[in-house]
Amino acid sequence: MTELLHYEFMQRALIAAVLVGLVTPVIGTFLVQRRLALLGDGIGHVALTGVALGLLTSTSPVVTAAVVATLGAVLMELVRVRTRTSGDVALALLFYGGIAGGVLLIGLTPGASNATLTSFLFGSVSTVAEEDIWIVVVLAVGVLAVLAIFGRELFVLCQDEEVARAHGLPVRFLSILLAVTAALTVVIAMRVVGVLMVSALMIIPVAAAQQLSRSFRVTMGLAVLIGLASSLGGLTTSFYSDLAPGATIVLLALLVYCVAVVVGGVLRRVTRRRGSTPLPPVSGSPTDTMIQTDRGKVTP
Amino acid sequence: MSAQFTGEGDHTPDAPPAFQAIDAHAAYDGVPVLNGVDLRIPSGQTMAVLGPNGSGKSTLMRAMLGIVPLTSGEIRIHGTPLRRFRDWKRIGYVPQRLTAGGAVPATVREIVASGQVARRRRLSLSTKADRAAVDDALAAVDLSDRAGDAVRELSGGQQQRVLIARALAGRPDTFVMDEPMAGVDAENQRALARAIARLREQGSTVVLVLHELGPLENVIERAVVLEHGRAVHDGAPPEADGECARPGHEHQHPHPDPNDPDPRVAPTDAHTEIVRLEVPHRD
Repeated sequence: MTELLHYEFMQRALIAAVLVGLVTPVIGTFLVQRRLALLGDGIGHVALTGVALGLLTSTSPVVTAAVVATLGAVLMELVRVRTRTSGDVALALLFYGGIAGGVLLIGLTPGASNATLTSFLFGSVSTVAEEDIWIVVVLAVGVLAVLAIFGRELFVLCQDEEVARAHGLPVRFLSILLAVTAALTVVIAMRVVGVLMVSALMIIPVAAAQQLSRSFRVTMGLAVLIGLASSLGGLTTSFYSDLAPGATIVLLALLVYCVAVVVGGVLRRVTRRRGSTPLPPVSGSPTDTMIQTDRGKVTP
Repeated sequence: MSAQFTGEGDHTPDAPPAFQAIDAHAAYDGVPVLNGVDLRIPSGQTMAVLGPNGSGKSTLMRAMLGIVPLTSGEIRIHGTPLRRFRDWKRIGYVPQRLTAGGAVPATVREIVASGQVARRRRLSLSTKADRAAVDDALAAVDLSDRAGDAVRELSGGQQQRVLIARALAGRPDTFVMDEPMAGVDAENQRALARAIARLREQGSTVVLVLHELGPLENVIERAVVLEHGRAVHDGAPPEADGECARPGHEHQHPHPDPNDPDPRVAPTDAHTEIVRLEVPHRD
């Protein structure tokens, strides 16, 4: 088991996997709550343009990806608010702009082809260089710091934007902050699972955790555990079985999700039978669906 | 701005009004919704803004909190122009419903504690006083025993009480509630009315946007009735009129959109789509 620690590239890969498993579910919890689950995907595509820009200008692709993804995230927030484009359409604009930009720029880069992009599309954790690790560490610390400082405000924002406004919170600033934090998280995870699967690590652990939890805090904690288990487990499995690490990590997370759905269903049935917290008689919201009561009526 | 803020109302006779709207105009997509509303809500008053759907009552309330911008006119909160108002911990806003965020579960206690966001410093841990305020708020709406439950397991009426508890947890002295009785069963309505009566006794300012007075009839000191974006009545609450105004009447709300964003026509099935299209800042 310890033999994979003897390889320097695996040491770096493990560090990256730990950071990714830790950071992505935390930001993912806020994104899911804000119903922006696909934001990470949109930003991932934009990051691809950044990668190509880095290759074209012979600078670190991770750095240029961070810069371009951040700009993309800010731009998307502005597009969403200013032009009344709905969130999903704004995301679609990012998707296509990002991919097209990446392919265009890589075509201009001497000695590079779309195949060069493949390692960024699907991840190549084993080729992570030492300087990449340092950048990833700094980004991860930054993301966690932002969430520690602004977490309470972001919780209110993601719960209900109008309430956030009525509390006098800086809604515009917080929205952009969340988008930028998500962008940096995408860059952190990019090398491990690739831009096409970045969002999976933000969303799947959260989706699994919420099957088993009734609180925001516990959901986030569980999601981090699931994220860490998937990324470390997936990386180790791929090392011994010679599988693609990014895909293995994501499929492992999906497996955890399936187990969580079953376990969560059983747990709910058991507590319901025991009647520890009897369900209210008048309710339009069954426990296992996510949307609330029917507003227009007094009785269901 | 005192650090020892107690949640008691401001009783000094020359205290500025809790809210003041001066010739307030607002519009959605160029369609005027408020057409020059002048309103002065003295500190400590319990008052209702009434009116049919589309009268502008919700918009007025949202404009008073800066959620909807005015096209002209001015809003003052406790004497300070809205733009420069920073003392948000004095304001407790109760939205029309719990949007339940996204799919992430949250407990009743988490939601209630989030009402303290305006009064707590970043990176601060919750103090004993913070937790006591949350306990008190939960007790005030009789939900102490549900604190650990997920809010989505609660009925609509209980969720409404959670929202009131969230406002209470910040210990504000000025409450703004958007149709707290809508979609709430009779028993929960009475519980809400009791909670609001207690706020009034404490000297808090309470502004309610209501479709009908219902069980709040005896709590409301003053009612302003809006029609077509103008105040058409200001004074004692209007007499109960017909079956719909009786306390406990279970009203079937004809408008499917919870935001009631006020096109000026009376509700018909045909315009519900328009309503939906005209809500800004909604995703």
